[in-house]
Parts: sequence; C-alpha cells; structure tokens
Amino acid sequence: MEPIERDLDSAEIRLSADPMLLNVGPSHPATHGTVRIVVELSGETIVRCDVQVGYLHRGFEKMCERGTWNQVFPYVDRCNYVSPMLNNVGLALACEKLLDIVVPNRCQYFRMALGELARISDHLTCTAAMAMELGAFTPYLWMMKAREMIWDIMEEETGARLTHSFGRIGGMAKPPTDGFKEHSRAVMAHVTKTIDEVERLLLTNRIFLDRLENVGVISAENAISLGWVGPCLRASGVPYDVRRAHPYMKYGEIEFDVPVGAKGDCFDRYMVRLEEIRQSARIVEQTLNRLEDSGPINVDDPRVVLPDKHDVYSTIEGTIQHFKLVMEGVKLPAGEAYGYTEGGNGEMGFYLVSDGSGTPYRVRIRPPSFYVTGGLEHIITGQMMADIVPCFGSLNMIGGECDR
Amino acid sequence: MSVTAKLFKLDDREIPFEAGDTIIQAATRAGVDIPHYCWHPGLSVAANCRMCLVEMMPPPGRKAMMLEVARFDSASGTYVKEQKPKLVPACQQSVAEGMDIRSNSSDHVIRARASVQEFLLLNHPVDCPICDQAGECRLQDYWLEHQQTKKRMRDEPVHKPKAVVFGPTIVYDAERCIACTRCIRFCDEVAKDPVLTLRQRGNLNEIAVAPGRQLDNAYTLMTEHVCPVGALTARDFRFKARVWFLRSAETICTGCARGCNSYTDYDPRQQKVYRYRPRTNETVNKHWMCDDGMLSYRRITEGRITASSVEGQVVEDAQAVERAVSLLRGIDGKKLAILMGSEFSLEDNAVLLALGRNLGAESFFESGQPSGKFDQVLMLADKNPNTAGVQALLDTDPLPISELAQGVSSGRFTHVLSLGTTLKEREAEESLALQKATRIAIGSHQGALAEGANVVLAVACWAEAEGIFVNVGGLAQRSSRAVLPPSGLEPAHQVIAAVAHALGQGPKQLSLSEIRATIDRDARELAPGTVRLARIALPNLVERPVLWGTQLGPSSDQSGGVQSGYLESSLDQSSQDQSSQDQSIGKVRFEKNRGASL
Repeated sequence: MEPIERDLDSAEIRLSADPMLLNVGPSHPATHGTVRIVVELSGETIVRCDVQVGYLHRGFEKMCERGTWNQVFPYVDRCNYVSPMLNNVGLALACEKLLDIVVPNRCQYFRMALGELARISDHLTCTAAMAMELGAFTPYLWMMKAREMIWDIMEEETGARLTHSFGRIGGMAKPPTDGFKEHSRAVMAHVTKTIDEVERLLLTNRIFLDRLENVGVISAENAISLGWVGPCLRASGVPYDVRRAHPYMKYGEIEFDVPVGAKGDCFDRYMVRLEEIRQSARIVEQTLNRLEDSGPINVDDPRVVLPDKHDVYSTIEGTIQHFKLVMEGVKLPAGEAYGYTEGGNGEMGFYLVSDGSGTPYRVRIRPPSFYVTGGLEHIITGQMMADIVPCFGSLNMIGGECDR
Repeated sequence: MSVTAKLFKLDDREIPFEAGDTIIQAATRAGVDIPHYCWHPGLSVAANCRMCLVEMMPPPGRKAMMLEVARFDSASGTYVKEQKPKLVPACQQSVAEGMDIRSNSSDHVIRARASVQEFLLLNHPVDCPICDQAGECRLQDYWLEHQQTKKRMRDEPVHKPKAVVFGPTIVYDAERCIACTRCIRFCDEVAKDPVLTLRQRGNLNEIAVAPGRQLDNAYTLMTEHVCPVGALTARDFRFKARVWFLRSAETICTGCARGCNSYTDYDPRQQKVYRYRPRTNETVNKHWMCDDGMLSYRRITEGRITASSVEGQVVEDAQAVERAVSLLRGIDGKKLAILMGSEFSLEDNAVLLALGRNLGAESFFESGQPSGKFDQVLMLADKNPNTAGVQALLDTDPLPISELAQGVSSGRFTHVLSLGTTLKEREAEESLALQKATRIAIGSHQGALAEGANVVLAVACWAEAEGIFVNVGGLAQRSSRAVLPPSGLEPAHQVIAAVAHALGQGPKQLSLSEIRATIDRDARELAPGTVRLARIALPNLVERPVLWGTQLGPSSDQSGGVQSGYLESSLDQSSQDQSSQDQSIGKVRFEKNRGASL
C-alpha cells in the first residue's frame, strides 16, 4: 500500500448531506437475474428506489405466433427455467381446455409428480441462493446436492436436466420409466432429510435470523393489491394456493397443507418455501401411490396425438395423421382459454387465443414473478441498503419468467 | 337474385338458391362447405366419388326411403339388421323449395363420409413424404376432417403403374388416383381435346391416354390443377419445392392480353417463384389458365437485365439515370420518340407518358412482345398484358412502328425513349434504322432495343412490383408483388419518376396511390364521351383502396367491360353458372370491342 502522504487537513472528507443516488445492477452478484435497481440513499437507508426489469425480454410470446401449438413448449421451458415442468404442464392444461379434452389418470398423476419435483427444485434453489447470499455457504451446497438428485430424475424421465420440453397437448412425450417411483422415493427421503438439517443449521443462527426477521415486511392487503401470488403472498398470511383454491388435475383428492406466514417478512417467505418443500414431498408420495404402472399416457384422439411410428411408416392413414399434426399442427378450436397452474412462484396463467388454425394467434403468459418483482420497490423502501439482498432473494425473481 | 329468394334448409339453416342449382352449388355460394372430390365448379357433374352424400329428409307426412343393411356388431361378433336412409349426392341433386337437407347434422352422412374416405385410402400408397401434392391434398385434409381412424385392412394394397409419362408436362401415378375423372372431364369439356379416359374396373381402374396420343394440348397443366390428389403431377414442379414453404401472391398472368387471374407461388426464403396457379375469376378466366401462361413464370428470371448500363458499360443505377437525364435535357420534344410498354403496368406507363408530354414529345409508339398462337379458349394472339392500358392512356392508338424506323432514318427522331426492350414487329427490330438515334431503354428483360442503347435503365419486372394491367376486355386488374427484384432494382415508375425529377418535372418519389390518383384525375377532367381515357373507370382504385383485388363495388357496372367476343368460347358452355367473384378493380370501356383478335 502506498503511504498516505497528504496532509491531514487537506484530506478532510466532506460528507454530503444530500441523498446519494446509487445504481445496483443490471448485472450484480446479488441480483441473480438481470435487474436494475436505482436507489436513493440517505446514509445507508433507502429513501427512494426504482426497480427496472426487462433485461431478459426475448419476445417469446410473439415468437409463439409462428410455430405450431406444440412448438410453444420449448418456449415456456425458458419461462421459469428453475421449474420448467410446471410451465409445460400449465400450457398443456390451457390447450386441453380449449380442445375440451382430459388426459388419462395415469398422465395426470405423472404430471403432478413431475410438477411437484420441479417445485421442490425451484424452492431449493431459491432458499439455497438466499442463504448463500447472506453468507451461509454450507446449506447452499447441501441443497444444491438435493436439487441435483431431482434433476437426475428429470434427466431419466425426459432426457434433459433443465429444459425438458416434455409436455404435449393431450399427454406427455413419454410414459414414466420403470424406475421412476423407486428413484423418486429415494430422492424424496434425501430431500426431506436435507431440509431438516438446513433448518437446524440456519434457524439457530443469530446472524441469519437478524437479517431476515422484520425485514421487507408487506401486509396481506398490499400484497393482494400488487397482484402477488404464490409463496410470497402466502407468507403475508393469505392462504391462496391455486392447487387448493381451484383444484386442477387431481389436486382435489390429494392431502397437503398450505403453509402461511404471520408477518410477511423475509423470514416468513423463507419458511413458507421450506415448508412447501415438505408438502410437495407429501404430494409426490401420494401421486406415486396412485400412479398406475401401465395404461395409456396420452388421450385417444387422432386430432391431437401423434400416431404410432410403426403406423406412420407402414400405413397411409398414419402417415397422413403424422403429416397433418407435424406440418400443420394441432388445430385448437377458435376461441380463448385461460389455463392456470401453481408454478414455483405462484399462479402461472396461460391465456391463449386460437383462430382455429394450427398456429397460435396469441399466447399470453401471466408470470407470477413480474407482479412479485413489482412489489420490490415497496418492501425495500425504508430498509437499509444491505437489506436489498435478502429482500430480492426472498421474492425469487426469475428473469426468464418476469421479462419473457 | 330476386328479392324474394327461394330457400331450402341445410342443417337447419335457411339457404337461398337459384333455379337449377344443385345442393352443393347453393351451399358453396352461401359459404357452406360440403366435402367433395369429383365435383368441380367449372366441370360437369360426375357424382362418382360419393364424398358429398347428404341426407334428404322426406316431405312432411311421408316416410323416408330406407335401405336394409347389415351392420357388423363388434360386441357380439355378428351382423345385425339395420336400416339406413338412401343418401343423395349433393353435387347432382337439384334443390327445390323447402327441401330439408342434413349434412353435418346427420350421423348417417358422417358415417358415409368416413366410409368413403376409408375406401379411397384402402389401396393408397404411403407416398406423402415423396408426393408433390402433400400439403394441398384433399385426401389428407378429409382424413383429418372426416375419417380419423387407423387402417383396418391388413392385406397388401393393389399395386398399379407409377410415374407414367402422360405427355411433355404431366406424369401420372395410378396408385394415388381416386378415379374422380376431373382430368378427363377437363380435357373433354374445357380443352376440347378428349385424350384421357378411364380403363379397367374396380381397384384396377386407372386413367389412360388415348392410343397413339399424348396429353399435349395447350391446357395440360390444368389436369394437374384439377386433380384433388397427387395422381397427376406437373413435370415442371415435381420435386422442386414443398408447398407449405411457398407463399402466394394474387397476380395477373402477363402471358397474353387475357389477363388471367393467377396466384404466384414463391418461396420467401429464396425469393424464387416456383409456379403460377389459376385464381378463379368468373368474368375473365373462370378457373383456368393455359400451359404457356402457367409456365411464363420462368420468364421472370430468364434473360433479365440485372444492371443498368451506359454505352454498354455496367454502371450504378444513379449514374445511368444521370446519363439519361443529360441526354434528354433541353432536347426538342418533337424529335423524341417515346415507346410505351405494353408489358408494363398502367402506373409505369402513366409516369412515362407524363414525362414524354412534359418534354414536348408528340410521337408515341409501343413496345411489346410479337403476336403468337391463340385459341378459342383463353389464349389470345396479343402476348402483352397491358396493350389496352397503353391505348387508354394514350387516348389513341400508338403510332405504327414503321413510322418510327422511317422517322429515325429521315432524322425526324433523334432520340428514342422506350419502356420495354422488344418490338411487336420483329422485322422492325432487325432494321438497322434505329441504330442511328440516341436510345434510352428502360426494361427488365434483354431485347433488341437494349442492345447497343446509349443508356439502359434496369427495372423490376411484373412479379417484383405491384401494378395494374388492363386486359383485352377493358378490365383494370391489380397484380401484387410476389418476390423482391434482383440486386435491388426499382419498379419502372420509380426510375422514370427519378428521371423526371432530375429534369425538374416533379417529386423524386411517386407512390402508386399518387400515380393512380393522377390517372383518375386525368380521366375525370377530360370530357366524357370524347376521349378514351375518360372512360377508364378507375374511381374504385382511388376512393375505395381497401377493395383492391377483392371485389367491385355493388354500384359499378359489371357487364359493361365484358362484351361478346370476349370469352365467347367453350368456357361459357362447359362451366356451370357460378356466383361471380369478380376480382377486377375497375374497367376501361371501349366503343369497339378489343377482343376481336379472337
């Protein structure tokens, strides 16, 4: 280090009494997405802030309008890319609503099991990253290890770890593998054990608790008026879960609890997610018990589902069916439909408009992240600069989903 | 249609009809689709495909005619006796007032369609991946709409001849053929060349060419066009492109003065035109086009001038324009001969005419293609799409070309400005007289007038620019742009406008609507009844631009431009009187009938 040679008098530091304008992001270690937060600081307290999203906007709703309906699945994979299976299923449900078809029970349980596994991986990622950003690196590695196991299941079932493109209108790309149940049960046992250990490690840590408790508080009224959904809304005490409020697939017959918070602070949001992992594990167990080992996975509707490959190569009927479905796409009846699913961050809505051709007229996605991120300004104003990190982490903004 | 239209019921919907209508005609006119293979609005009724079967309900108080049938009951494994109504083909059954017809609402009809479709696919080969019809094939469409079942027959399908060469343009695949006889009827009724027939029976049934003959009349490609499946394919189009990659532009065929309405099918990725297809216009070409016209898409790329040149040296377009301007600046208008382009659009010619008049030119000639073969169906001897438009703009016939040659040799004309590069009279092209003059040629294709010209201004051709063409009957029809011009060429009216601008005559850029408005204003200002231009009924173009290329307004006179001698051919007799979807956009009327070349 160079010695300070300057005279102390001339080095007198004048601290301005004016608020300081500081730019955080769009690329910043604590913003695990590209988001820009412009804050006005008085000392270390945030007096005003401006949250700017859109850095990951790829215009994929527009891109959807040039392929067939089934070609939308790869796009929604890249919405909430931490739990793409939930998006796949949500889109499939919306398309099936427009077609007025219901997939076989086996497919429904398969979709639910995969969806809950995806939710666990989503929550593991969020809670792990949040802990790490506050300095707790060990639980991060534990949870990442558990997430890796879930992604192994996904890889086994779909062939891809992250962007599965596994949903199909009228079913799934493939039936479950033979080892699916056994594999999932083994992983669930490990996941719940990991969660217990993480909880023991973090909830006895004074620093961790001090950074979360009473930080980033939002009331139930404000959360609702901001359009919040999902774990963040439930942390404020509103027991709204699409799976319970508007049961789709077979959620109506499954036992699970909807955890809610008391204060709506970062700690509540953290705890809600941890508890939801346990609840998802319960759901996975129940769906695995109900999942039949054989039977059709796709609907029996030639307008929607690809024919058997043997038929395609050997009969003209199969060839024509394949040609029409691949080249022109599944023709959804003209009209509109809103399909929904409880995504990793809450209600993921798919509002579809079809003109009766094989190509989407409009695909509008209601991303839970967008509305939740809209509340970031509200919860960090008045907090300390350092509180941005746990607040932003607890909202779990996923750029792909928020910016689309 | 009379005010109190007669009605019948189709699926509980009241549908008007005219005397003599069949069910399918009235339904089609009302926008209701009844599936069919063998019926074609321009051909006689064969009623052999049985796809259009509908249920005719008995009059009130009468019993329906029922047939005893045995239905296989898969549950018990036996046949059970059943009754079903006798269905009637919608293409053949004439409509009577108060008739109650069930199409989509009848289970019997739905079952019949599925059965017919299954029957037609029974021996069909697995050819979609190698078939040119795939993507626009009725068998594919109707399988999805009306059958949706898998193959039940486990036997080897019947094999028949494939890739049979029918003639210079058409190849036949008997395995794909459903024997609808559309091609046979087309040759008999429209082309008047009964060269095709059916031979054999049952599943050995196939189309055959008359012994000692080939399918080689002037309308062979129409047999491929009417074929609802992939049995007949055009040798020109075979294995060249996949139809789902093609886009269609609504165009006018520039092969002759008939102005047949066509689709230009092109691949937007390569900006390449693959084929023309007829576009139905009952008042011009009905549903047909001739082979020469269909294949004239090749001329879009053949023999093109792709770059402007000065004294034979390729230069930038702007430089060529500059050179043309310096040649034209300050010349004596009387010494300037202008050749209007009967191969170019009305807008191109209007801008050229304005430039010529402003320069003081008095002598207007005409470039174009020489006359060719003609027949009694569609083909006209005049091979230029806009002869009538040029005449209407000039308000008189263009001067004879002999006068041009004479004028150049005598020194009366020192400058020749031509739109187009060929002359209708080939001999005049060959005469060396023109060489003496200073020549500026604006053109898209190579020709005698471009050879050795002082300045050649390369422009876009018909497929690369929007424009109006006035056909022999005086119908002004819009042709839209299909592909982009090669190497960024501009349409002729833009290039001419640039020349005029440099000469201080007007704006540098002229939009098509501005040009059309000018044509229209000129037409209105001149006294009606005395000048031909006054009778270009272009108001439709200007006042209701949204209707361009779709329909004439109800107030416009639809019969005026279409006179005897114009389409007085086999077309009128063979095709049934369909609702006329007139896609023209305005018309030019003449005292004398311009279709006399027939």
